[in-house]
Amino acid sequence: MPPLLEATGITKAFAGQVALWNVSVSFAAGEGHAVAGENGAGKSTLMSVLAGILRPDAGEVRLDGVALPPGNVVEAQRRGIGLVPQEPQGAPTLTVAENISLGETPAGLGPLRVVDRRRLNDLAADALRLAGVDVPVDALFGSLRLADQQLVLIARALHRGSRVLILDEPTSSLSTREVERLYEVVARMKASGRAVLAISHRLEELRAMTERITVLRDGKHVLSAALADVTNAEVIRAMAGRDVTSAGAPSQAPSEDVVLDVSDLGSRRVGGVSFKVRRGEIVGLAGLLGAGRSRTLHAIFGSEKRSRGTVRLHTERGAVAVRTVGDSLAAGMGLVPEDRRGQGLVLGQSVLTNVNLVLPRGGRRFGFLSRPVLLQTALDAIRELVIKAGGVAARVATLSGGNQQKVVLARFLRPDTKVLLLDEPTRGVDVGAKEEIHRHLEAMAARGLGLVLASSEIPELLRLCHRILVLREGRIVGEMSRAEATAEGIVALAAGVTA
Amino acid sequence: MSRAGARILLGRLAPLLGLVILCVVLALTSPHFLTADNLINVLRQSSVNALLALGQLVVIITAGIDLSIGSILGVSSVVLAMLLRAGAPPLLAVLGTLVLGGLIGLLNGLLLTRLKLPHPFISTLGTMNVARGAAMILAGGVPISGLPEGFRSPFNGDLFGVPAAVIVVGFAGVIVHLLLERTVYGRDLFAIGGNREAARLAGVPVSSRLELAYTVCGLMAAVASLVLAARMNSGFPLAGTGAELDAIAAVIIGGASFFGGVGTVSGTLIGALFIGLLRNGLNLLDVSAYWQMIVIGMVIVAAVVVDVLRARQGD
Repeated sequence: MPPLLEATGITKAFAGQVALWNVSVSFAAGEGHAVAGENGAGKSTLMSVLAGILRPDAGEVRLDGVALPPGNVVEAQRRGIGLVPQEPQGAPTLTVAENISLGETPAGLGPLRVVDRRRLNDLAADALRLAGVDVPVDALFGSLRLADQQLVLIARALHRGSRVLILDEPTSSLSTREVERLYEVVARMKASGRAVLAISHRLEELRAMTERITVLRDGKHVLSAALADVTNAEVIRAMAGRDVTSAGAPSQAPSEDVVLDVSDLGSRRVGGVSFKVRRGEIVGLAGLLGAGRSRTLHAIFGSEKRSRGTVRLHTERGAVAVRTVGDSLAAGMGLVPEDRRGQGLVLGQSVLTNVNLVLPRGGRRFGFLSRPVLLQTALDAIRELVIKAGGVAARVATLSGGNQQKVVLARFLRPDTKVLLLDEPTRGVDVGAKEEIHRHLEAMAARGLGLVLASSEIPELLRLCHRILVLREGRIVGEMSRAEATAEGIVALAAGVTA
Repeated sequence: MSRAGARILLGRLAPLLGLVILCVVLALTSPHFLTADNLINVLRQSSVNALLALGQLVVIITAGIDLSIGSILGVSSVVLAMLLRAGAPPLLAVLGTLVLGGLIGLLNGLLLTRLKLPHPFISTLGTMNVARGAAMILAGGVPISGLPEGFRSPFNGDLFGVPAAVIVVGFAGVIVHLLLERTVYGRDLFAIGGNREAARLAGVPVSSRLELAYTVCGLMAAVASLVLAARMNSGFPLAGTGAELDAIAAVIIGGASFFGGVGTVSGTLIGALFIGLLRNGLNLLDVSAYWQMIVIGMVIVAAVVVDVLRARQGD
């Protein structure tokens, strides 16, 4: 039987970073097909290309052997491809019925387009029945629970005649009982000859919903198989990559002095995290998307509201409890945020301004900025980190990703820095710059700093960290020393399955 | 009823509740307040702001804003007066004025959707200055007075004791209400304001809907200029200076959300009436115009605080 939906040679890059490279997959009618991979493997990008939300740089998508116009979401929908995104997207102040018909609302009286309420509600009732969803058609979409919002959007996709239904992380916001309900809906859709594509990290759920699996890694297609023919361990190995070895031990063993002490730290998405970091130690935070890596760092730094717990920094003046961003910086703890362009840098400003965004010691005299001190700090940073910029006055927007990241790092390249929290420090930088940044981080640790490194790239953690903490749903679910850590072990712990 | 439903109902009733409380307080403190003459006077005085606010409502529902309506009011009144003074039949002059207002509104929409200006604050701030300058140039900086009776009487007279201006507001209110609540256009505007990306992905023609919203807003400003010109017996290039802010205040006091997706005609009319009554009551109580500004400022902030608290609860 020819495939219902077929993608051939899909390649897509964002700002020079390849997200998908020559990926070809086909999906059969009546079949559930899982798409798995680590964070950043290209799953969501592939789904967006299939649904016409993104236009691929190369390759094409065929439905029933007919090529779809690239990057045309409305046409893709019309031909029968429906995408239900991870975060349910609907109009919160319209009713369920209005959301189901949104974009094709039934209307009468010609150009006046008066909404035909009765038909609107009848259509919605049909759609909800077809999907087996039990919510009132006149309820406001925004007042529904996330699970129901998601089911309404599934109903909408079906109602529009979708023959291919794409579910992006469909279970991430659902309770166990709601997941069961989703399984039923999926089973019904497959029975009616539709193709269901599901993205998930959770292998058990993928096994319950789908028969085939495709694994992506670093934007490349690495495996397609019947799920019955592969073990969880094989899938995990495909996701993590075999060729990952822990290259080179950290240059120096950490000392015994604790520099950062996090105790029972909690916030809205972080549930009681405790750990210590010693001088010269690099501690890794691993976990899947949404496991709370970034939120943990922000809660430590004081940039996210804490509900409980304490964070102590050990300085020359003894232990200092930090609560706010100001406390953290004063005590010598810095944060290199994940979103470099959005949170890390003032893009339109110079290297000089950005390096000194956290004022160095002596940077202010009698309330006025001391230009010589700031200039010296920036020049030192450029020399030490080998930042390639056209001088201290160059705008950081003109720098490459790797050099931008070095500017952020340079902010904490001072004698009074004790602890550095790093969130995805090498995301979006090229291979050469990545290696350089890794060496700088190791040098910082060798000088006695304590580093906490959150990364979705397991090879990076294995390369740099003395210890790796694995997070799941805002809690630490495992700790591995560098000797015992393996990529498979980390993925299995993070996903909550046994390898 | 769900808690969210109850919250939304409360949000809708809050402006009315505020209006009733204000009326009771004013009736108790001033013997002149609760008279037919005074109340009709308040309605008449609120009519221009109410018309502007109806247009502003349509835009705010899309999570947008229109700062140019005061200037559109000004330039429309000048063009209207020029047409009438040049001897154009009143009906033709009125139609010409409405077309002008609609076109300036459409321009606002096009600047937003075609030139992709980052926020309607920018595009309408530009139009606000351009339209005001055009009004001054056309009128030579002075009012154009003495409009023919054939134009003034339908807009400035009474019908069974009800001012014509109030009837115009009622008529416009019904039309805007039907547009927002009963037509696909209106429902799409709520969808865009609630979640623009969701609307786009569902196939709503976002650009043309936004263009429609700003056109309606400009058109309502032109309607307001008819009422004002008839009352003042002139086209006045400075007419409506700062009026956009009163209109925004009425919409927000009326329970619409600055975040978009929420707002009703009834609430907006109540909001316009609230501001009118507050001014009237403070006048009757001999509160100076300066203090009135302070009171109205506080009411606006209070209304937005309510909006923010509601949004945070819904989070």
